[in-house]
Amino acid sequence: MDRWQYLLILGGCLLITLPIEFFGDGVYRQPIRLLRALTPVLVVFLVWDAIAISLDIWRYNPRYVSGINVPFMPLEEFLFFVVIPVCGLLSYSAVSATLGILRNRQHKTADRSRR
Amino acid sequence: MIGLGYTLPAIISVVVVCVLELAALRTGLFRTPAYWIAMVIVFGFQILIDGWLTKLSAPIVIYNEEHTSGVRFPWDIPIEDFLFGWALVTAVLLLWVRERPDREGGR
Repeated sequence: MDRWQYLLILGGCLLITLPIEFFGDGVYRQPIRLLRALTPVLVVFLVWDAIAISLDIWRYNPRYVSGINVPFMPLEEFLFFVVIPVCGLLSYSAVSATLGILRNRQHKTADRSRR
Repeated sequence: MIGLGYTLPAIISVVVVCVLELAALRTGLFRTPAYWIAMVIVFGFQILIDGWLTKLSAPIVIYNEEHTSGVRFPWDIPIEDFLFGWALVTAVLLLWVRERPDREGGR
């Protein structure tokens, strides 16, 4: 079970943030925008990560990774650079939607008091 | 403990993201409350997740201490991770707000 730890953490991140998709403008519903925002950053961080791993700046405990590898790194590490930014975008989307609702409510109250 | 391998690139990544926004993208994201509130939330979750990934009793990620500042806080999180995480999430957010929504008629 231990070797699924890193994957389970990433899965948990996606699961916890999933409900936000149905609140506000969503992130997964805008796949093109998501790809265009994510891809350039993903490439830079994957290169950074691959260099760091090859120079032994950090490494992964074989006990807690699945053993599935993509070039230069464990699968989990590659997924990290997709999952974490998506969670960040969902958080931003949730906050933006909430602030939008609050702002609308304020406007309505202001309109009413003017009458 | 020299920090060349991680501390230095982590600081550079933050500077690069700031320069990218201020000199090129100019999205104005840093002036929006939504961004800073979202980053506080991201920061909170980062402490939980990163804390688990880096805990010295059973680490998932193992750092070569020669390349870090050696400062780990809170728990056993190398402080460099917060710069790394900030640069990663902020860079994607900057490109996200620059892109038009997939469905037209948005902001």
